[in-house]
Amino acid sequence: MFTDCPHLGHGIGLRPKHYPEMQRGVRADWFEVISENFMIRGGRPLAVLERIRADTPVVLHGVSLSIGSTDPPNVEYLAELQALIARIEPAWVSDHLCWGSHGGRYAHDLLPLPYTEEVLAHVIDRVRRVQDRLGRRILLENVSSYLTFVHSSMPEWTFLAAVAQGADCGILLDVNNVFVSAMNHGFRAEDYLTALPADRIGQIHLAGHSDRGTHLLDTHDAPVRAEVWELYRDAVRVFGPVSTLVEWDDHIPPIEDVLAEAERARVAEAEIVRASRGALSRTA
Amino acid sequence: MEHSPALREIQALFWRALSGSVDPALEEVIVSTPALPSLARLDIYAGMYEGRLHDVLAEDFERTAAVLGKERFADTVRAYLAAHPSEHPSVRHLGRHFTTFLADSSPPDAPTWLADLARLEWQRLEVFDAPDATPVELERLRAVPGAGWAGLVLVPIPALEVLESAWPVHLIWRDGGDPPPAPTSLRIWRQDGMVYHAAMGVLEREALARLRAGQSFGQICEALTDLEAEKAAAEAASLLARWIEDGLIARLA
Repeated sequence: MFTDCPHLGHGIGLRPKHYPEMQRGVRADWFEVISENFMIRGGRPLAVLERIRADTPVVLHGVSLSIGSTDPPNVEYLAELQALIARIEPAWVSDHLCWGSHGGRYAHDLLPLPYTEEVLAHVIDRVRRVQDRLGRRILLENVSSYLTFVHSSMPEWTFLAAVAQGADCGILLDVNNVFVSAMNHGFRAEDYLTALPADRIGQIHLAGHSDRGTHLLDTHDAPVRAEVWELYRDAVRVFGPVSTLVEWDDHIPPIEDVLAEAERARVAEAEIVRASRGALSRTA
Repeated sequence: MEHSPALREIQALFWRALSGSVDPALEEVIVSTPALPSLARLDIYAGMYEGRLHDVLAEDFERTAAVLGKERFADTVRAYLAAHPSEHPSVRHLGRHFTTFLADSSPPDAPTWLADLARLEWQRLEVFDAPDATPVELERLRAVPGAGWAGLVLVPIPALEVLESAWPVHLIWRDGGDPPPAPTSLRIWRQDGMVYHAAMGVLEREALARLRAGQSFGQICEALTDLEAEKAAAEAASLLARWIEDGLIARLA
């Protein structure tokens, strides 16, 4: 496990739909919030977040760092992120291994990178600069993708591991994204997991996806699929217990349902940990 | 594209592909499979780009979108994104040019008040996340000595906006329909995290404009000089009570 990220248990994403329950004191083990949604001047969202933060760990998860962009780093954005970090004191900060801006314009999407030595050096340099600016190490998440580049010279897992080692950052492993990309590009999801350095894994994401016939789409609008639960169990076998979060961004159900998914992750993790301990004691 | 394209080149081409303009040079560097050719793969991203930003604007301008209907709103969003692609890392700011865009290039057969309705929706959003301030309570005003009133400055909360329109957009916002023109002044404010708006009469409009301009209570009362002295005093007291009750005053200076 990445040493910057203690095991916080099994959290959920904080979404406006659940603010009333939050104000009544309903809590998960921890919450993840979309950083950009709280880069605001005031109002209810910040008040709710500060109330939660008073008694529960919170992590910041960005979507617009655009770490792979060839645009100059957005210094205003980093300053706003730094101000939010100072205000919320998150357990850690993460974003995505992708790009999403070009020419000063934002796609608000997580766009894929070619996996080449050139891009690797570019991303490592950008992560280092961001970490220097923020004064802390960040986590980068693998994204779901729907295309790859013919000139990529290494698989995504090699690229991700090399970024983490080269820039000295952590990995937010999205198990659903591994599954979605594996299906879309025809690789073995298990190969992805076993190639990653365990000491870089700081957090795990789980989410639902949709089957569009020709491809899987990372939609975050449904319960976690059985195949992804199975892959999560594999991830716990490989990496041990890691703080895990269930994402739900569309067709968001009542808070009880989202918490039930987090509870399911807790049970799955406990089963694997128990089984591993049993196996160890039998071999001792 | 025979050489390995530089990252910047790929990102420039990819960016254009998000709006549906696919350069063959980009197509060439994307892995194509029989089940999902490279063009179809790019199309997934183009669809997600437009879909996501459409949904953001549909949420921020819910009533404007309802007036236009599904297809016309989608066409309007497409044209808006072409003219004003997002220039901010947060989608919160995506719609910042939408009201002027609607005013300048109104969709065919759109009602003349549409841009003003959008302006009300945007100003409500601006108020929603405006900076916080703890409103002054009545007790604090009661402590002001009689001689101090004329020079007293009432500083408004940051979460307060005013909208002027030639149409009763607050009624359209609430009930829909297509009412006749009527000069309308609205104040839009946030109290306890909730956003409200209310129509103002002529006197309140003038008094609030003076308050927002930093004028003293004495100068605000001058806005009421057309009234008899007794009525003016009663009106001033009534306005002040309403503003305090609605939490519009952040501090006294």
